[in-house]
Amino acid sequence: MKKIVCHIQNCLSCRSCELACATAHSRSKVLHEALREEDLPKHRVRIEYVDEKGELQRVRAIAVQCLHCEEAFCAQACITGGISKDVATGATVMDPEKCVGCWSCIMVCPVGAVVKDEMKKHALKCDLCPDLDSPACVAACPTGALVFFDEDEAAPDGAEICRRDEAAGDTAENGGDRL
Amino acid sequence: MNILIIGNSAAGTAAIEAIRHQDKRCSVVQLSDEAQPLYSRCLLAYYLSNATDEKGLLFRDPDFHEKMNVALHAGPGFRAVGLDREQRAVLCDNGQRFVYDRLLIATGSSAKLPKHVPAHMGGVFMLRNLADARAIKAKLPSVKRAVVLGGGLIGIKAATALAGLGIKTSIVVRSNLILSQMIDFDASRIITRLLEEKGIEVMYQTQALEVLTRHGNVTGVETDTNGRLECELLIGAKGVQPNTQLLEGTGLDVPWGIRTDAYLTTSDPTIFAAGDVAETFDLTLETHTVNALWTCAVQQGRAAGLNMVGKQTVYDGTIGMNSLNVYDTSIISFGVSSPKDESLYRMEILNQPELGVYKKIVIGHDNRIKGIILVGHMENAGVLLSLIRKKTDVSSFQDQLVSDGFNFGTILKHSDPEEMERYLNRRLV
Repeated sequence: MKKIVCHIQNCLSCRSCELACATAHSRSKVLHEALREEDLPKHRVRIEYVDEKGELQRVRAIAVQCLHCEEAFCAQACITGGISKDVATGATVMDPEKCVGCWSCIMVCPVGAVVKDEMKKHALKCDLCPDLDSPACVAACPTGALVFFDEDEAAPDGAEICRRDEAAGDTAENGGDRL
Repeated sequence: MNILIIGNSAAGTAAIEAIRHQDKRCSVVQLSDEAQPLYSRCLLAYYLSNATDEKGLLFRDPDFHEKMNVALHAGPGFRAVGLDREQRAVLCDNGQRFVYDRLLIATGSSAKLPKHVPAHMGGVFMLRNLADARAIKAKLPSVKRAVVLGGGLIGIKAATALAGLGIKTSIVVRSNLILSQMIDFDASRIITRLLEEKGIEVMYQTQALEVLTRHGNVTGVETDTNGRLECELLIGAKGVQPNTQLLEGTGLDVPWGIRTDAYLTTSDPTIFAAGDVAETFDLTLETHTVNALWTCAVQQGRAAGLNMVGKQTVYDGTIGMNSLNVYDTSIISFGVSSPKDESLYRMEILNQPELGVYKKIVIGHDNRIKGIILVGHMENAGVLLSLIRKKTDVSSFQDQLVSDGFNFGTILKHSDPEEMERYLNRRLV
């Protein structure tokens, strides 16, 4: 399936992904209008600091969103049957109509990718922007840290990410070796 | 191959899906003593409070069994009452016999009323199945005051649902804390205050001595410390016990629930058990126990289903886990959250009762997390759970576990390169 991957050594923690995600999930889809929407749109990707000083092999932060796990714990935990795996795309899909806000999905998500909509008592998470060519966070990422790739086409050992690494001039020689 | 599944809830459903993922053709027959279509028990309190309707209770589409090519026999007559291991057959209440090559026992658990509470009295209920919830709803128009016996998860969910409908509600609790399976005394105090702010009365260290009735209807409860509580509705919520009656005299190993191994196999290799009726290895208690919880039932049912069709799958073990909302406060707990012998553990605690926030991480001498309580802030609960599941040594970042800034990034910093690599490849779990 196609997945979003964060190449964390390129992440500047600029939060462009968060803004783009919230905008893409707003009513107007336009940032300056979304800001005035009564029910402020929520982002489903979050910048989390790994090492703020960047001393850890230049890893500073990571954009965390739903991994669309093959064995999705959230789908196992959901008491309403409202979380399922899309057979065609492999995406983990939430049905907001079914959600009662029990937060069982938050209880089991190994990366903390489920967001609470406190007003509507709904769980929210990355839906891979099904209506867009590329997820909004990926399109907005100025450093190419976020990539959207088909894991069936990429080498299983993550070589795909290494190639992008080199393309960005971020090679072992200049201290950008992957962990 | 003939697969027979007894029970039509979380574990049985997960097993069907796992079986059909592997094998589209084998015969699957399912028995249930409930005629209702597959619904979610956990939602009954939401149904009671009108947060969802009967349609919302449905856990799968109505044509689920048809689509999965499962022959479902449901209704009171299909209660399994006999098991013949020699002949590999299950006998139902209506006399029908079903043979199997592989049997999954997912009969769940039942709530029991305390001995002195008359079960067939008008206004006396439990909240265990859809029939209970419907009966309570039908009774509500004539109810002004309610008493809930038991301060566990179901008791609290029932009490908040009733109070939300404008019913004056009291909770009678034998011990000095509520949710004792889930949280500790300090957390219990925070939750008690939330309940009391909404007008729910919590009576600690109190026992119901006698149920008072008139013309076949409950009128009140006589307590040992607080005198008489008048009520038109009494809900018994004193926990559940595994439905193992079927196994009496069969020689199967049933200490409390049905004992299973890492493949959810019972002491008979053709018989599997999953869900509230099964005893599985608990990763935090490090012993076999029954964790009568939805998520555990689904995971066990899935693993059992895969093993039944020959796809060998190890079930890592169970972890007690609960998520509960008391009004706008979310509570999540895992494992040994309130150990009896505190000297065996060390604790990381953040206690901010004025903010309604309480976090506690229970860490064993082996530097592994054994239990967690999160009240208020629980957004990264699953990240902490993964540390339990993966048996991560947390000594290098133990002090950060209860901080507001704790998240997946924190554990990534402390994970080894291999772990980081796996994350980059999105093969975390």
